Amino acid sequence: MRFWPFLGRRLIQTVVTLFAVVTLMWALFRLIPGDPTTVFLGAGELPPDAVAALRKSWGLDAPLWQQYLDYLRNLLTGNLGLSFYYRRPVLEILLPMLWNTLVLMAFAVTAATLVGIAVGSWLGWRRGDKTEQIGTLLVLIPRALPIFWIGILLQMAFAYGLGWFPIGGMRTPAFIPETRLELLPGYDLAVHMVLPLLAAVIYFVTDPLMIMRTSMLEVAGDDFVTFARATGLPERRVRHLARRNAILPVLTYTAIMVSFAFGGQVLLEVVFSWPGMGRLMVSSVTQRDYPVAQAAFFFMAVVVIVLNLVLDMLYAVLDPRITYE
Amino acid sequence: MGISRRSFLHVVGAFVGASALTDTVLEGLGTTARRAEAAVTPGGVVPPLNYWIPNWPDQIEISNQATAAWQKLGLTVEVQQGTLDTWTAQIVGEHKMPHLGSMSWGGAPDRLEPDYFLTEFLYSKRMTKGGLNYGNYSNPKYDKLIEAQRQEMDPAKRQKLVWEAQVTSAADNPSLVLLHRDYVQAYNTARFEGVVPVLGSGIAMPYIPWSYFKMKPKTARKLVKVTSIYDIHTLNPFATPEVHNSTLLRWIYPPFVIRDENTNISPWTAESWKVVNPTTVEVVLRDGMKFHDGKPVTVDDAKFTFDYILQHKFPALSRVPDSIESVEVADRRTLRFRLKAPFAPFVASVLGFTFIAPKHIWEKVGAGLKTPADWPNDQPIGSGAFSFGEWKKGEYLFLKTNKAHWMPPHIDGVYWLPVPSLDNQIGMLERGEADMLGWNVDLKQAERISQTKDLKVVRSATHGVHEIRMNADMPPVSDPKVRLALSTAIDRKQISEIVFGGAATVAGNTFITPLSKPWSNPNVSNPAPSIDKAREILKAAGYTWNAEGKLVYPK
Repeated sequence: MRFWPFLGRRLIQTVVTLFAVVTLMWALFRLIPGDPTTVFLGAGELPPDAVAALRKSWGLDAPLWQQYLDYLRNLLTGNLGLSFYYRRPVLEILLPMLWNTLVLMAFAVTAATLVGIAVGSWLGWRRGDKTEQIGTLLVLIPRALPIFWIGILLQMAFAYGLGWFPIGGMRTPAFIPETRLELLPGYDLAVHMVLPLLAAVIYFVTDPLMIMRTSMLEVAGDDFVTFARATGLPERRVRHLARRNAILPVLTYTAIMVSFAFGGQVLLEVVFSWPGMGRLMVSSVTQRDYPVAQAAFFFMAVVVIVLNLVLDMLYAVLDPRITYE
Repeated sequence: MGISRRSFLHVVGAFVGASALTDTVLEGLGTTARRAEAAVTPGGVVPPLNYWIPNWPDQIEISNQATAAWQKLGLTVEVQQGTLDTWTAQIVGEHKMPHLGSMSWGGAPDRLEPDYFLTEFLYSKRMTKGGLNYGNYSNPKYDKLIEAQRQEMDPAKRQKLVWEAQVTSAADNPSLVLLHRDYVQAYNTARFEGVVPVLGSGIAMPYIPWSYFKMKPKTARKLVKVTSIYDIHTLNPFATPEVHNSTLLRWIYPPFVIRDENTNISPWTAESWKVVNPTTVEVVLRDGMKFHDGKPVTVDDAKFTFDYILQHKFPALSRVPDSIESVEVADRRTLRFRLKAPFAPFVASVLGFTFIAPKHIWEKVGAGLKTPADWPNDQPIGSGAFSFGEWKKGEYLFLKTNKAHWMPPHIDGVYWLPVPSLDNQIGMLERGEADMLGWNVDLKQAERISQTKDLKVVRSATHGVHEIRMNADMPPVSDPKVRLALSTAIDRKQISEIVFGGAATVAGNTFITPLSKPWSNPNVSNPAPSIDKAREILKAAGYTWNAEGKLVYPK
């Protein structure tokens, strides 16, 4: 078994990739015109002298190569720096927003993957009949809709129209439970989560579903399926076997979905006033809050790369035919 | 193996896309700069005017109106839209100003002091990068008047200088001042009554917060929920110059003087003040004030705060070291300020912006920090009518009423809810999830809001201003006659009607709104709109038109 050399090679690749990502991001943020003091300039809130003083206190007057080296050194020692805008350590800003995003997205990605696998394999198994044709069409509709539009429609129907759910936010400020239902722990959060979660699932579900369907179609023609049928296994068992074999591409895609979900969905967050990563990332870019923006994108890159690595390792477990080459 | 490389390329691809975009933006700016270098060709066609606007709906509509008018003068106008941050970085930060640049300035309370607009926008020493005189207006006579009014501690004499300065700049038309947009806000009348509209703050903005001091609850729920597009970013009053954040912190850390309902300066934590001589000001503190932790507010705390600011030179409070030489304790309740030079805006801009921080807390701050401005100040202790309740980033800021205050508000506290989408803010108001709209809607939205029972829309004037600045160094707008023609061609009243449904005060030829008395000079008006008149002005200045009707430079 050549597992360890393979892992070693992959780890080196991972480090090189991360370094490249970090460098690119660092450079790109500095390519955008302006710097963190621009926020105060535009509103005319600080005179030029005070801006210069601020820039100096943030080390932005140092030559760029030095700022870059400082950044790398800090990153290596695990110091993500101080947010210029919030004047607090980056993690203190990032983690609460990351948590808010994960609360929503963990449910959304899990639900989308499970529903996608179930419905996708069902549709794929019914290749050619009417249900499959209509089903595929129905699934493709939300795929073509922008997520904010799905969100707004849900909001119009269930918040403005029926009044079942709040319009936005994560919590009711000064929430006083009045019914026994409202006394349940997490009730307020759950109520606020329903619509954004629904919108996210509708938006996310199509890809795993369609991948599962296609994969199912491929597997359906394989020899082992024919053999299983020939042995007289009930159709349900055969489908189960096929599904196990077809699941791999969906899992790969889930890794990608997770990394996107990690960054939040800025449009969804705006529609539902959800205080998550997407809004933080956008505002940190417009505010030129380099440390927060860099850390957020760095996290995302790490998640993408590490998840891919883990998945590569997992392949062999999930499908014994795959070997490390 | 393959996956990692693919995903890496994916990430790279995304960034390359972003950088290509940045390149396009930068290239566009390069073009602007190159065009500026093109010298005037006598008898040549006037080149297209580059006009840069922020990508906001009202600015886009204004630029459409203005462009249509200027095309009738034989001009070609190229409008470029940008996000606010790029606009600011290039035009304010780098002073890469094209021919024309649109901007609107909000009604921050600082801008009620006439010195703000007159100096920041048009004084020649503000032409440096980062300064707001990005139109490069420079007039020695104007500069002298500005310097004189800054030094004139007698309000009556100062008013004359301020009026004369406005006459001087109006003759040069450095900017097309368009209008002062009204705030259109709304609140729930079933729950609260007694809101107070104030110039520049409306009924709901946190700047001059009379509504929150005066409003009365009509039900048992005495907490007010207000929506805003902004959240604060720090609880440290020494850290931020940002107006939403710093004014909300002034609810906790009140200033020495405050604007009353008619925007006259009135005592707040100061009981009175006296200009002893042009460089000495004495301030008597209100008696019996207490910090939120129960300790008394003393003159020592006040002196400590100023010394602290002078020592640490906080950029957010740079106006203190800029104007104050030293601060002394004159007696148990009196503070004596020695100014570096006579400074007329001292009371409004310095005493109206600074505050008293408790010495017993802040003297211990700073160990291990580069500056006390980086201290989180998680439990702010001030002496204001509101004390700190809770801050959940991105969700709400809760300020609760300080019942021990000498003028306690009738409500129990205020929740400031940052809601990025204005539609959601309106929806929350309609659904009763919020009580007051702390942002600004247009008249169409206002009409919709008024249809909901119990909701009342309140329109109130501001001193914020929409303007189109012109680059005085770039032909053809370097020619005051051309600037006058551009000004004559646009119809401000019509713009106000079309863009804001008339919810605006049409501006005079000065940044100071006609409603700001006594500082606004009523005698500086903009020319009556007329395309014919504008063409006559150009003709008289020697400009002609070619066969295609394009404007041609004088020979």
